[in-house]
Amino acid sequence: MTFLDRTTDARRFRHWEGNVEADYIYTSGVAGERFFVALRDEGRILASRCTSCDLNYLPPRMFCEDCFAELTEYLDVPKTGQVAAVTVAYEDRTGAKLSHPQVWGFVIFKGIRGGLLHRLLVPPARARAGLAVRPKLRPREARTGTIADIDGFEPVRF
Amino acid sequence: MRVGIIGIGMTAFRPATPEYNWKELMFEAASRAYADAGVDPRSDVDSFLTCAEDYYEGFGIFDEFVPDQLGAALRPTCTVSGDGLQGLANAFMQIETGLVDVAVVEAHSKASDIVTLEGVIEHALDPVWNKPLGAHPFVIAGLEADAYLRATKTPRKALAAVVQKNRRNALKNPLAAYAAKLEMDEVLSSEERFAPLRSLDIANPADGCVVLVLGSETAATKLHANPVWIRGVGWASDSPSLETRDWAGGEYARLAAAMAYRLAKIRRPSTEIDLAEVDDRFSFKELLHLEAIGLAKKGEAGKRALRGDYGADGSLPVNVSGGSLGCGNVFEATGLHRAAEVALQLRGDAGIHQVDGVQVGVAQSWRFVPSATGAVAVLGVGR
Repeated sequence: MTFLDRTTDARRFRHWEGNVEADYIYTSGVAGERFFVALRDEGRILASRCTSCDLNYLPPRMFCEDCFAELTEYLDVPKTGQVAAVTVAYEDRTGAKLSHPQVWGFVIFKGIRGGLLHRLLVPPARARAGLAVRPKLRPREARTGTIADIDGFEPVRF
Repeated sequence: MRVGIIGIGMTAFRPATPEYNWKELMFEAASRAYADAGVDPRSDVDSFLTCAEDYYEGFGIFDEFVPDQLGAALRPTCTVSGDGLQGLANAFMQIETGLVDVAVVEAHSKASDIVTLEGVIEHALDPVWNKPLGAHPFVIAGLEADAYLRATKTPRKALAAVVQKNRRNALKNPLAAYAAKLEMDEVLSSEERFAPLRSLDIANPADGCVVLVLGSETAATKLHANPVWIRGVGWASDSPSLETRDWAGGEYARLAAAMAYRLAKIRRPSTEIDLAEVDDRFSFKELLHLEAIGLAKKGEAGKRALRGDYGADGSLPVNVSGGSLGCGNVFEATGLHRAAEVALQLRGDAGIHQVDGVQVGVAQSWRFVPSATGAVAVLGVGR
């Protein structure tokens, strides 16, 4: 028999408790601004396009990682995406146990390099790669121009 | 010019180290490394490199806090904000310039001092596209594990075989924090955390410090050292955005290995390498990394793990030290610990976990979730 649970809690011993004050704003940038404004105002999901490499980036970015060109063109991603990978999280972001596990997925779109990491709005038992999904947006008035304007991705067929 | 590892010093890896502060942890590992190399840091060492990330440390400008505990006061020091193997690569290059004969590389973890470890790791997620979603940062590892298992058709129980092997291996490593004799069923039924990963698939944090002394061939001769030669080093990053990276192939590890093998003149890694220490902080990563660095064909690592090929007496011993699953996750010290364990094996100084007849070994590192950055070092003795 070996002990599987060992304490990593050094707080029981002499110490000083401190914290690092670190608050920021994170600028969305030129490509991010295009994406989040189109998402908030028109419910569109935009990718940026590199015409010389024939590549479309999601999330959109201002430069091509293959040829280093500046990207100025944008296009809509297809309405339906596909789940490329799934996980079911039994803990929240702080490591606390969840009463209802969360389903997360990486969603890709045909013809697009990249994709979006987001919640999958399916029960854990239905969470699997290959599922056809579409974004479920928050109502227009609740959208603020962030990635959270998307509630998650839901199956095309229920 | 050849560059060798001429001194190895490690503290034990432990879940918590309440009696030492982080500087004292470094002092212990450094003292051990200098005793092993037979050097006086105040007169024999030309350059000191530490590997640390301010956010793990809990204070800014880490390099300002370095010199005294390494014997480096008023001497050239610098900090690599990365994994210990990246520091090793930089020390190797400093010696290759001819400006430095003896260099020291240090990396450590005092993870038990971090009250909000999840928060610190979460801070590495993209602050605009990923972090606002509110997912635990290990969600990235869960997604990657799912992508890897499906892309390679690796059976889920192969991950349990990795866990079982590494924690058992740790029983023979007196420095390991998390040695355990586990049954397959125990691993396969441990608590669910980030499916397909269960709690025993994920390395627990540990404290510890690793210090290596590196020397030029001339310095090694002068110090009557028994050097382990650094035959090659390499490092690389995949696409920084997790949306555009290769989720199942470990491109960072493949590119880092290609660079290290080129330098080491290794053409067939699968036949020329006798032993490997690779990053296993999530069980599937051991298999993914073995495939990425050319030690297994794509999709074969899991089957070979189930056959026992990677055991201490298998055809390719992998993580005989116990890896991070057995020794603990020591964050930026992980890669340097892998290199130290390979070096001990090649020197014949690995104690009861010594593997017989090993001449060439490889150490591989990864910068943990959510990174796609890694490094590789090829080490050898003789010739």
